[in-house]
Amino acid sequence: MAGWPGWVTLVAQGTLAASAFLYARNQPLILYGQDFVGLLRRLVLGPGALALVCLVLFGLGRLVAYQQPSQEPVVFAITHTLSLGLFIIFLAQVNYAWRALVYFKSASNLRRRWQLLELLLGTTLLLQLLPLPVPSVLVLPVLVLLGLFGVYLSGTQRWVAYLTHKQKWQVIGYQSAILAAMLLFLQYFRLTGTVATLLSPAPQHAFLLLTAFFAVFYSLMGLLVTFFNLPTAGVFEQRRAEIVSLQRLTQIIQRGQTAAEIYQTLLESAEQTVQADAAGLLLLPSAVPNDKPGHSTYFHGLDATRIAAVVAFVEAQTGDQEFVLNNLASQPGWPAELPYGSLVVLPLRGLQHHYGKLFLLKTEVPGFDDDDIGVLTTFTSQTVLSLENLQLVADSLSNQRTQEELRIAAQVQDSLIPKNLPTDDWFDISTHSLAAKEMGGDFYDFLLLPGRRLAVLIGDVSGKGVTAAFHMAQMKGIFHALMQENPLAKNEREQFPLPSRFMNQANTALAHCLEPSSFITSSLYIIDYEQGGFMFARAGHCPTLYYHAMREEVSYFVSAGLGLGILRRGGYERHINNQFYDYGPGDVMVLYTDGIVEARGTDGSEFGEERLKALLERCYYLEAHEIKAIIMADFNQFTAGCPVHDDQTMLVIKFKTAQPALNS
Amino acid sequence: MKVTAQPAADSLTLLLDGELDASSAIVLDTELAKPEILTYRKVLVDCAKLSYISSAGLGVFISHLQPLQDKDVKLVFFNMQEKVFNVFEILGLDALMTIVPTQAEAVAA
Repeated sequence: MAGWPGWVTLVAQGTLAASAFLYARNQPLILYGQDFVGLLRRLVLGPGALALVCLVLFGLGRLVAYQQPSQEPVVFAITHTLSLGLFIIFLAQVNYAWRALVYFKSASNLRRRWQLLELLLGTTLLLQLLPLPVPSVLVLPVLVLLGLFGVYLSGTQRWVAYLTHKQKWQVIGYQSAILAAMLLFLQYFRLTGTVATLLSPAPQHAFLLLTAFFAVFYSLMGLLVTFFNLPTAGVFEQRRAEIVSLQRLTQIIQRGQTAAEIYQTLLESAEQTVQADAAGLLLLPSAVPNDKPGHSTYFHGLDATRIAAVVAFVEAQTGDQEFVLNNLASQPGWPAELPYGSLVVLPLRGLQHHYGKLFLLKTEVPGFDDDDIGVLTTFTSQTVLSLENLQLVADSLSNQRTQEELRIAAQVQDSLIPKNLPTDDWFDISTHSLAAKEMGGDFYDFLLLPGRRLAVLIGDVSGKGVTAAFHMAQMKGIFHALMQENPLAKNEREQFPLPSRFMNQANTALAHCLEPSSFITSSLYIIDYEQGGFMFARAGHCPTLYYHAMREEVSYFVSAGLGLGILRRGGYERHINNQFYDYGPGDVMVLYTDGIVEARGTDGSEFGEERLKALLERCYYLEAHEIKAIIMADFNQFTAGCPVHDDQTMLVIKFKTAQPALNS
Repeated sequence: MKVTAQPAADSLTLLLDGELDASSAIVLDTELAKPEILTYRKVLVDCAKLSYISSAGLGVFISHLQPLQDKDVKLVFFNMQEKVFNVFEILGLDALMTIVPTQAEAVAA
């Protein structure tokens, strides 16, 4: 039969071994997550079944040898070679299944050690092919060392800890099957190895021996570790259940679930984790979820009559503190007909809120130890955290909506503030306005009237924010409604209401809609260019600062005048009057609200009218926008670092000669 | 802000101490909203220690002005600091309310 040289067989066998191992090495993921049982099952049903094929081949060979003894050597050579191939494939699959288990949650240095083992084993495969006479004195220690390396790696059985009790039994079964398959192969080769008719040269003894040794040893270790872990499996499972329950509690909020679901999860998790026989949750009225009104209690494992008795006892006997009773039978007040021996009550309490209490019942005495209480306390804290987070999320959503609405309202209000200032060659206007909140109560407006006249309105609604903004909008409406041309007017001067008349009418209009404690201060100026003068009424508003160019003097207009909305039942006209003033080119008018003069600096003092006056004295000769810039720069410096408490508005109007004489 | 009420035979004296702003206005409003206020002939407000008054503070007096007048209860301010008086004056309230320099004048008013 030896028709070809021995090395051909050796190379063929070596190639088969190398390719089977390389194939197994490079096959894609064989361990899916933590499905160890699945991995072992596939190993038993796939490569493990090859052992049976080997058995069948052995049987066939015997059958043929019995019927046609002359053919026996050929048949034996075929079956033996096939069996050897199957064994190599089996070893390759088993070894790389073990690699997946060794790699499970392992550090990178362990992976490097495995790769070293692979390399060394590969070398033994090569050595066998080389025609070098290596003395067995050298080979033996190396083989022993490699074997020990395998033993060392067999100590890595982390995966066993992740098995549940049931899975451990399954693993023991599959591991036994793999060992049986291995024994079947080994037994076959042990029987046939001594047969004199063995035709093939010695196979890769060292390589196959070592891989078989590792496969068996790792399998055996795994089996033993699993077996001896069986008694503690329950503890591991309980700890894992605790972790999973905690994860469920924390994840609830991420999935956008409700308070009712959190309560339900707490009840179930707590009951399962400490293996209680019944559980209940009593909520305070304030903690009842909005989406489930009336759901103030949650129970599990209790019927209606027991619920009544247990709740009565819990409510009567326990306060707001943690409470453990491990001998209920001897507890006064405990309804003896109930089959429970231990009770634990835990409060659900956050920093600000008290949600209710959780109770659990067990038939055993004593039923709850410190570990159980610890776990339950973690559960209740996590529940409270989840509830508080839920509240925070809800609050922030509603806050966001409010903010959005406020933003829109602020935009609407901003559109009420004139953006296009009136322009003419006889005056120059610059404005500043800033609201303390999203919306403000300050307002100003301009209207160019026929006959080169300009109406200027400024005002301040008492209070700030939304209410003030509404009244500010009202005031603007009143201004535009009243400053209409009167077609029945006898002369030009009566075509538009005089400032005092305007204030009186505005006061009447506001009387019905302002709340009792609100009022509005305002000043209205009607400036007449052709007559070189203006008329104004001051309804309780801050006095206007004025620079008189002819007299080179800065002063405040002092005049009497009552704010709007203070006298609502008539008689207002006695408290308001018109003032007249002649102006000349170069005069400067500064109108403002109290948010400017009452703004406080870091030392708590007010910006004040004196400071404002002194500023105008220094910069009256500049253009309107420059005057405003200088005043605001000083103002901002004065109030730097202080919060804005009140709305701020300032208008600077500078009168000019109608035709600039520069180029004429 | 502290509000102390000192009832006498036919008058009530309110001592204001501190800054009267939006938050403290509520305290004063509660005091002035009590029904027994309307049984006095006069409510005297001692402003000696009133260091600041905001528009919210003024609003409290304004909102109670009419109801008090309707029941012939006189509201008299005295001992007012100049800065606080300025605020009353700018708004025109000095023409509407009785503001006198001293307690004696307030009692006599």
